[in-house]
Amino acid sequence: MLCDKCNKREAKVYYTEIVNGEKKEQHLCEECASEFTSFHLASTVLNKDISLGNLLSSILGNYKVTNTSKEKETVKELVCKECGMTYEEFTTLGKFGCAGCYNTFKKQLGPGIKKIQGADVHVGKKPKGFVTKADKIVSGLSEIEKLSIKLQQAIEKEEFEEAAKLRDSIRELKKEEEINA
Amino acid sequence: MLKWYEEKSLPTDIIISSRVRLARNFSDYPFAAKLSDEKAKDLVREITDKFMGKKANEESEYFCCNLSNLSEVDKNAMVERHIVSPLLADKKQETGLILSDDESVSVMINEEDHLRIQSVTTGMDLEKVLKKANEIDDYITGNSHIAFDEKYGYLTSCPTNVGTGLRASYMCYLPGLSVAGLISSLTEELARYGVAIRGIYGEDSKSIGNLYQLSNEKTLGKTESDILEHLNEIMDQVIRQERKRREYLITNNYNELEEQIYRAYGVLSYTKQITSNECMSLLSDIKFGIDQGFINLNKELNIFKLMMDIQPANLQYKMGKSAGNSLRNRYRAEYMNQCFKNALNG
Repeated sequence: MLCDKCNKREAKVYYTEIVNGEKKEQHLCEECASEFTSFHLASTVLNKDISLGNLLSSILGNYKVTNTSKEKETVKELVCKECGMTYEEFTTLGKFGCAGCYNTFKKQLGPGIKKIQGADVHVGKKPKGFVTKADKIVSGLSEIEKLSIKLQQAIEKEEFEEAAKLRDSIRELKKEEEINA
Repeated sequence: MLKWYEEKSLPTDIIISSRVRLARNFSDYPFAAKLSDEKAKDLVREITDKFMGKKANEESEYFCCNLSNLSEVDKNAMVERHIVSPLLADKKQETGLILSDDESVSVMINEEDHLRIQSVTTGMDLEKVLKKANEIDDYITGNSHIAFDEKYGYLTSCPTNVGTGLRASYMCYLPGLSVAGLISSLTEELARYGVAIRGIYGEDSKSIGNLYQLSNEKTLGKTESDILEHLNEIMDQVIRQERKRREYLITNNYNELEEQIYRAYGVLSYTKQITSNECMSLLSDIKFGIDQGFINLNKELNIFKLMMDIQPANLQYKMGKSAGNSLRNRYRAEYMNQCFKNALNG
């Protein structure tokens, strides 16, 4: 019998395929059969994203395994208030539902992110006009408070000339405040 | 106007192009996994509105479109030219695209992240493309609520992109390493340094045309310029290895290589029908022949451009109609004949 596909070589492989309950039988030669199988292999390769998702979920889901069953349950039930993403859903999908999820799953996320990225703190570009928490605190301080911090740092570094200058500026500012009051 | 890949400035015998991609999201829209159809529409409209009438360069404005308005052939042609990702082209929800007319800058809207800003140039120059992508980033996200966290940086849909959201990559032509069967060991080696390598056309490990993409895997904990520097160091090593392999090949197999290149030339000049895979590998042989001085053509041919032109959807785009396999194979052959017949010097 000749191969159903190329009609040239002798068929040596009997190939049955059932799709949606419909049975399809083919007699193939070795070469065409190998093409067939590699075709199927290739399609699993194309589904790589899915396997990446599985890999991610096992890394991100690790938190659940290492904790007691009671905690496990409460973690499972964690829900992001902003988008409705549950922790369970997040680990299966490997994707966040919104910016708020990072905050909701903060506690569970830390080790997973470190495993994936090898680091857990961003040091690169910041959006224009972004103010860090530290900056916010500093901007809330009075001039005298800022100078006092600088004075303390100067003393610690034994930069006494600088310290003397700072001390004088603080004194002047305090005097001004008293007059204004 | 010339497309970016038609510009001739840097050598392209190994590194064909440099590309960066920035992933960005807004805090006032849910991410892709939870984005409603309604919100997706708003997002696409908001961003395309921002670019309407904006100059991409001195000559022209940005092209803004809603991807659902394009035909399948147009979309697939853009996937083959790496302007949009397969994910964006296949997405059921509303998606958008911003594109400069030389195709060097593009923004995908509502892909896996709200924005994927891409910039590409010919040869080895990641710094230039990062600068361009940053300009676009600042333009779009300047006054918006960008999803940014003090600790984790730019927040992304997938934790593999968080931080800088930066994926930098080189598209390179590595016939020497491929012929020597060294790609799989190189893949393992590079993985240890956080660099991924994969084939560009064809399935996964079996690359067609010896084209590969090298890119950084990690996006958090390093500054953008450190990521580029690291990738450059690795790339320099790969280039050195590739040159060594080519030298070895040429010294030991000169006659065989010459035969292979001239056969490829012969087939492309006179073939009557040819599949894209065969055409790719023959074009790859010709590229090697030109770059290494085996063959001397009497006209300037951009082999990389031809490699994109002969992909199924781009070919149909050129034909001006959608066509089946056999018709395409014949048209592809005709196109190759036109390019190569009588193009030999001496």
